[in-house]
Formats: sequence, structure tokens, C-alpha cells
Amino acid sequence: MATKILAGVDIGNSSTEVAIAKVVDEKANFLSEHLVKTTGIKGTVDNVKGIGMALREAAKKADIQILDIDIIRLNDAVPVIGDLAMDLISETIITESSMIGHNPDTPGGAGLGVGITVLVDQMFDAAVRGLDYIVVIPKPFDYEWAAHWINKAEKDGISITGAIVQKDDGVLIHNRLHKPIPIVDEVSLIEKVPLGKMAAIEVALPGHVIRTLSNPYGLSTVFQLNPEQTKQIALVAKALVGNRSAVVIRTPQGEVVERKIEAGRIKLAGTNNKQLEVSINDGAGEIMRTYDNLGDLLDVKGETGTNVGGMFNGLRHDLAELTGQSPNEIKISDFLAVDAIIPTSISGSMAGELSMESGVALASMVKTNKVPVQKVAALLEQELGVRVEIGGIEAEMAILGSLTTPGTRKPIVILDMGGGSTDAAMMNETGKITSSHLAGAGDMVTMLINSELALGDKELAERIKKNPLGKVMSLFHMQLEDGTILFSETPFPPHTFGKVVIREESGLTPLTIKASMDKIRDIRRSAKRRVFVTNVLRALKRVVPTGNLKHLSFVVMVGGSALDFEIPQMLTEELGKYGIVAGFANIRGTEGPRNAVATGLVLSSVKEEVLK
Amino acid sequence: MTTAAFSIEMKLAEIGPATKGTNPREVVVAIAPAFGKEMNKTIVKVDHALVLREILSGIEEQGAVPRVIRSLRTADLAFMAHGAAKMSGSGIGIGLQSRGTTVIHQRDLDPLSNLELFPQSPLITLETYRAIGRNAAMYALGESPSPVPVVNDQMARPKYQAAAALLYLKECQSRVAEAKPVELKAEFIIKD
Repeated sequence: MATKILAGVDIGNSSTEVAIAKVVDEKANFLSEHLVKTTGIKGTVDNVKGIGMALREAAKKADIQILDIDIIRLNDAVPVIGDLAMDLISETIITESSMIGHNPDTPGGAGLGVGITVLVDQMFDAAVRGLDYIVVIPKPFDYEWAAHWINKAEKDGISITGAIVQKDDGVLIHNRLHKPIPIVDEVSLIEKVPLGKMAAIEVALPGHVIRTLSNPYGLSTVFQLNPEQTKQIALVAKALVGNRSAVVIRTPQGEVVERKIEAGRIKLAGTNNKQLEVSINDGAGEIMRTYDNLGDLLDVKGETGTNVGGMFNGLRHDLAELTGQSPNEIKISDFLAVDAIIPTSISGSMAGELSMESGVALASMVKTNKVPVQKVAALLEQELGVRVEIGGIEAEMAILGSLTTPGTRKPIVILDMGGGSTDAAMMNETGKITSSHLAGAGDMVTMLINSELALGDKELAERIKKNPLGKVMSLFHMQLEDGTILFSETPFPPHTFGKVVIREESGLTPLTIKASMDKIRDIRRSAKRRVFVTNVLRALKRVVPTGNLKHLSFVVMVGGSALDFEIPQMLTEELGKYGIVAGFANIRGTEGPRNAVATGLVLSSVKEEVLK
Repeated sequence: MTTAAFSIEMKLAEIGPATKGTNPREVVVAIAPAFGKEMNKTIVKVDHALVLREILSGIEEQGAVPRVIRSLRTADLAFMAHGAAKMSGSGIGIGLQSRGTTVIHQRDLDPLSNLELFPQSPLITLETYRAIGRNAAMYALGESPSPVPVVNDQMARPKYQAAAALLYLKECQSRVAEAKPVELKAEFIIKD
């Protein structure tokens, strides 16, 4: 039997992997492997560039020429393409500016003050003895002067119970007053503060949060409201919960409304003409329950003219262009909805207040009849001058590859967690394979981290996802996520001093966002849990013949997300509840959870030849 | 809305040799030999009183404690600031030259390294000085500030390089060889 050199190429949503093996007498001897970022969308001709790059690198490692390769085997890139979208479902609007509830780093003083708003330089003209006042201090007034002025007024018998300041001067003014009052500073749009109106101001001690203004009945006591008015102002109280300082000004017409944005409804079409409808506003839990009730999904349609409609239509359109089909022929085969919290600035606010609005993130997947893998193969063959074959089904290949993990045998269940999709496949003793492909994986986690931390930087979100954090306490020690302290022989770089950093192998990257290390860690872990735990359970249920997870005993995890430093542990813990032993693969005993499909592609051809 | 017109006067009284502080909330500001003395304006003619006051205000606003010392033997920004950081109870110091150049330093760093450097003195505004004080205080209190945004202007160099060199020369004439830094009491008097 002649010696042949085979290359397996696996095009994934986010990475392209290759494995090169020398096959002698039906025995595959793996020479090298390589991984690059997938160029273009999976399954399109744009991929050829990335494949070429990966093959060249792998060939170099194996010390051969590309032309030495006899056959390149391409995965039959499962014609599934995923897309992600996220939309707000609630929004807070202040129609008449009536509250300032923000967290300046350093408000002055502490306590509650109630009084009538008055400009600092009009105090002496406007003030009536016997009434309480809250002074408003815009930017042009220096803190020293303002404090001096307030002291003078106090001496004159004008009662001042609080101050609202535009600059970051709260502590400075407070330190210079004879009689301490609560002061809220950094109110950027101070000119919007109505004058001559009743206002209440509250500042809590460092480390505490306000208690009176964030309580509807506290507000009703302060402003002497009747039950009707209390109901109206409850939203103000809600928006102030958790702040260290706040101002509420009572304007007769003022009200805060929480508006539900019509995010739209989605129509799920199932087998047997079954149709179910669910509103995006009901949240991810309800959407997924509806999907569960439906069973097999044939297509999803979003209501036209709404956010979700736009999202699904955009997806259809993109894929139609890609495959040369008409948009009507494209069917959405799976989707995953996850609740998200999106920091959004309140419209009509005075100090750039943010409110945490709820939203829904959607990952969806499309099966098309013709995905141009053939075109990819043809182009690749033309460019490299090597014969290209399209190999078997991805799930089958992944199982073949996974079986090279020491200690595994049939029957086997694998979980392939990549960037775009979470797949599960099961092979029974006789070699029969069932598989499932679900939308939502690593890329969705990145999207959630990106928006919940308001980073606006996907690259950075990706790095937060992949690496643990630390907080540099001094140049020589750092606190790690679990609370332990790491001491360093060499000083950390000065630009990381005092910062929360991403601990990558290549070094430390300081984060410029204000969130604490614990907060970032919580968001990262919850994003992973929301996407992967939900999806893994969904995927496994579909491949177990009985539909009961308790009937499984071993699961092998492969794919890029199995390399994550915490996802496998999370899943091991979760699957442990069902009595399943889960662990990540070690392809060929050396590759870890990577390269399963590429390895499987090479091995499958060997097997085929054996069968002949 | 009328803005009251007022001027600010600065009094810097020497109160003896500077000592190492023990307060973990303190930030030490080292001013150059001629600051507020032989020289009283920065390279863009901003009053030294306003500059120092903004830095000290920034520190106070965050709840840290400012302390001012005058460097006598050196007018070199890095060494002034590093000296201040070593005397600071928190390990954070600020260096401030008469022409306006500023740096935030930490005692464990090499003298020529820094936490934040503001090299283009003609471009530093009073708001920036306030922010410099604020960030230094935040470092001292163990918080993680975002670096103060710095303006960059390629024309600042050709336009001001000669003046900057002259101002540094002038500053150096106020140096006292081998003299230890002195502790200052900075007072600001507001006049209507």
C-alpha cells in the first residue's frame, strides 16, 4: 500500500483548524496541525484564504510542501450560519426633569435636606426667613466663594439644608462650611434644575446607599403626597435605588414613565402546522418555554416593523445573498434567547444618569439547501493544485476525532462548543450517530459581556471572556479573583497600577471601566452560564433517545469553548446533577479539545478505505 | 447670574525640613525651587496660585490629604516627584515645575518611570490640574482612576521649546546644592 499524505480541514464559525497526517498501510500518523481565525462567514469562498494560510503553516511544521499533500478533506460545513442581535425591551424616560439620581464619586456631607431651590447669588434677595432652602451652584462659582456665601447666609438667619453643585466640588464646599449640609455634585445639566420649587436632597455615608428618597413612602413623607401622587412618583424612587446620593425636585407636571418598547412578537412555526406566538417583551424564559412547547422548529418569523422583525429579516437577506437563494426559501432552524441587562442613559436626565434596562439577546441559526461548500472546495483545488474532497458530516467527524482521546470508547456522547453553535452528537455501540446543532455559543457570550459592561469593544470583551482578572494593589502584589494575593518578583508595569487587569499569558491589560473586579467577574460568569448551561442541556436532550438526561453517563467536551478556563467546570458541575461524568477531550492524546473535526476527517478516509 | 469677581493670592510659608509622612491617605506635591517665588506664572502665563490650588483641591475633593514640599537641590521633574512619593505616607507624589509640567509618581517605580506624565505644559488647563490632583488622590486611596486625558499638539514643541528651555534654566538658578526639601504651608486667600 502506497504512502499518502492527507490533510483534514475544519472550517468553524470562528476558527479554521487543519491536521496533516501521513497514511501508511491504513495507519494514520499525524504530522502537524494548525489553527487560524476563519476568514469570512463559515462555508463561503472567503474561507479559502484562511484555509490556505493554515495549510501552509501546518505544512511548514511538518516539513513538507503543500503539493506533497495528496488529498485535502474538507468538512461538509454544516450549512448553519448564526447571527446575533440584542434589543432593549424597556426604557425609562423622564418627561419633566424632576429627579437627579446619580452617583458622583464624592458627594459632600451626609443626611437628608428638604427646601426650596434657589441660585447661590440670589439667596439674599429671594430668601424668606423661616423657610428652608437648597442652593444651586452652577459652574462659574468657585467653591471657596460659594462656601463663604453660604456661611454668610447662615449667619444672616437664612436656613440652608442642602446644595446642588455643577462641578466636582461637593467635598471642598462641605469642608469649608460652618454647618454641615448634604451636597450633590457633578450635576452636568444644572441649568435644567427648576428654581423656586420644593426639592429634597439625600447623601449617604461612604459605602452606604440612600434610604429615604429611594422609598416611595419616604418621598410621600417628604413632599406630603396623597396616595394618587405617591403612585405616580414610585418610579422615581425605583430609579434611585442603590445610589449614594440623589436629588428629587417636585414639579407639578413632573413625572417619570417607564415605557415598554414594542420589541415585537415572534411567530414560531413547527411541524404539523403548529404555530405559536410569543412577545419579546415577555423575556427570554417565556420565549424558550414557548419553543419547548412547540417541539421541532421549522421557521421563525419576526413581526414586521419591529426590532425583532428587522433582525430576522436582515439575517434572511444576508443569507439569501450568500447562497443565491430567495429570502423566502431560507428557514431559521434554531434560536436561543437570553435575558440581558443593558446600561442605557435615561432620556431627559440632568446628570447623565444611567438606568439598567432589560433586554433580550438572540442567537439564531439558518439552514440553507445549498451552502457553497462545493464552491469552496473547487476554489481551493484551483488555488493549491491539490485534490479536495468534501468529507462526512461534521458531527460524525467530531466523534471520530473525539474517540482518539485516551480512555474513550463507543457509545460516546460529545458536546462541541464553538464560537457560533453548540452541537451535541451521540454514537451508539453499532456506530449510529444522532446529532443536534443549536444556535448560541462563545460569540454570544462575548456579545453579552460587551453590552452589559458597556465596553463598545468586541476585542476587549473577547479577552475578558477568555482570561481571569486581577487587581493590581501595588507594584509588587495583586489580588486575584478568588481573593488570594499574588506577589511578584519583578514590578508590574506602571500603567497597571491600581487597575483591574486582564491576566493574559502575554501580560496584563488594564481595564478603564469603572466596574469592580467582582462585578466584571459576575457578569462574565453569568453570561457563560446563561448561554452554555442552557444550550448544553438543550443540545443533550435532543440526542438522548429517551429525552432524559439521567440516561447518559459520559460526555466528552470538544471545541474552542471547551478550552475556556471556567466553562468546562461550570458544565461538569451542572451535568453532575444528572449523574453525568463530563470532561474535555484530549484529541490524539495531545491536542486537548481542539482539532477533533480535522482529525476525524483524516481518520474517516482511512476507515473508508479499510471498508473497501 | 452674576459671577463674583475675585482674585486668589497664595502664601507659601516654609515650616522646616520635609519629613516622611505616615498618613496612608496623603499625597505629597513637590514644587520646583522657583515655583511661586522667583517665578509666579507657567509657560502660558497662568498664575501659580491657581495651578497649585487646583491640584490641592482635586486631592481634597477625593478625601485624600494634600501636603506640599519644595524641592531645592533638583528641578528635574522625575526626581522631584519620586522624592515626593518616597516622603508620602501613601507612596503617591506629584511633581510640579514652574513652567507647568507635571507628573504623578509612585515610590516603588524607577525615578524615570511614572504613573501619569503631562509633558506638554502649554496644553495643561486648570481643569486638567484638578483632574491630576483627583487621580493622584484616587491612586493613594487604592481606587482605579482612568488616566487623565492628555491633549497633544505637534506645534507645541516648535512653538514653546525655546521658552521651555529658558524657563528650566531660570528655575535651576534657584536651586540650592545639597539642600533637603522643605515642608510648606500653602494658604490661599480669596479677595472679592
